[in-house]
Amino acid sequence: MGFFDWVVRLFSEYWRLFLEGTGYTVLMALIGTVAGFIIGLIIAVIRTVPTEREKSPVKWGIMKVVNFILSVYVEVIRGTPMMVQALIIHYSWFARIGMPALLSAIIIISVNTGAYMAEIVRGGIISIDKGQIEGAQSIGMTHFQTMTLVVIPQAIRNIMPSIGNEFVVNIKDSSVLSVISITELMFMSKSAGGTYFQFVPAYVICAVIYFILTFTVTRILRFVEKKMDGDDSYVICGSQTDFRSQINAKKEDA
Amino acid sequence: MSLIEVSHLKKSFGANDVLHDINFSVEPGDVISVIGSSGSGKSTMLRCINLLEKPTGGSVSFHGKDISEKGVSLAEYRSKVIMVFQSFNLFNNMSVLKNCTVGVQKVLKLSKSEAEARAEKYLSRVGMSAYKNAKPRQLSGGQKQRVAIARALCMEPEVILFDEPTSALDPEMVGEVLAVMKSLAKDGLTMIVVTHEMAFARDVSKKVIFMDGGYIEEEGSPEQIFGAPEKARTKEFLSRYFEQ
Repeated sequence: MGFFDWVVRLFSEYWRLFLEGTGYTVLMALIGTVAGFIIGLIIAVIRTVPTEREKSPVKWGIMKVVNFILSVYVEVIRGTPMMVQALIIHYSWFARIGMPALLSAIIIISVNTGAYMAEIVRGGIISIDKGQIEGAQSIGMTHFQTMTLVVIPQAIRNIMPSIGNEFVVNIKDSSVLSVISITELMFMSKSAGGTYFQFVPAYVICAVIYFILTFTVTRILRFVEKKMDGDDSYVICGSQTDFRSQINAKKEDA
Repeated sequence: MSLIEVSHLKKSFGANDVLHDINFSVEPGDVISVIGSSGSGKSTMLRCINLLEKPTGGSVSFHGKDISEKGVSLAEYRSKVIMVFQSFNLFNNMSVLKNCTVGVQKVLKLSKSEAEARAEKYLSRVGMSAYKNAKPRQLSGGQKQRVAIARALCMEPEVILFDEPTSALDPEMVGEVLAVMKSLAKDGLTMIVVTHEMAFARDVSKKVIFMDGGYIEEEGSPEQIFGAPEKARTKEFLSRYFEQ
């Protein structure tokens, strides 16, 4: 039997396994990316809170401690492999309190993504023109309002490509979570290949599925980016003299 | 009691002293032009009044209350003393209408319909109501600045601080923005305008302040400053301007 015959045979026999594995992979990557993004957003906003030592020493002190804890979190999580984190955290803690492996895996991938996202969001915030912040402050917005209404929406648009990167990385790197016996795509491919001792054809199927997933996600995110940018044309509401007329104006080439 | 009282205001960035001992007061209805060469501290002074820069010394009082004191709400003060910038600083993620309503809704806590009514009123005041659905990136510089002025007006402030509002614009657009500012001055809005537009300073303002090297070198009525300046530095600055 030739190589491609094995590919076809494995897929037709075990497509349910591949499908189930794909389901777990997508589930972990999706929740991990969304939750990680929210964690990153919160951390980045906390880190930008302005404090003055002379004006409010208590707040200044609390922020110092909080910021220290946050940097420890970011540095430790980014500085160690997710596979190792999964093994340590799951077996020494989560498994002992009876947490299902899937929940452990989702928590670990979220916490991991959060550490990267914190830096990505911070970069997005830094990239926003200082004038936007001053514009918001100058009409009396608080720091929280400035962030949520003006800075963050623009920062999110700017970091969409990096968020897409994280999503793609999560789809692929969730494969390491098979170490805590998650039956995701990689795990299932190994099992499918194991029955006939035909691993390479199984992994080829696995690779194709991963590629389809990441490619689709990239396209979807590109589409979302376009939506966020909005239409280049806008409606001029009436003219100065006749408010009933509606003129469609295209953006002129600058 | 003056509306705004600036006394002994000092500002330094590290070892660099930008403002030394600035004193002046603003009465309701005043239109004050601040002129002077670049680097003389005009913009820094204006930014200190809005507390975008923290003064190193001295004080700024609003209705007789020192704004740097504890218990004075900075957000509330800024919603009454609003800044209009050289680079417009419109919110890029919002439409023209939203730019005008967001402060009214979120800072002044008025309802959406009230905010939109205000926005319509002031956008048509600056001749921009037709563009309420446009995004800032779709507007010309002059249009952006008129929207920025409408955004400030929507907060119905007591004072508007203009920081070189026409310096980033080409000569044609300067005209449209100055026309709006002139009509505001005519209606009795209190304004402090940092500007290089000498004709505006001369014709529209009630008081002119000439700044040089971080000091107020001379201040007085436009007739006095432009007609018979006393200080040598003022004469030199103005003569260079009118030579052109």
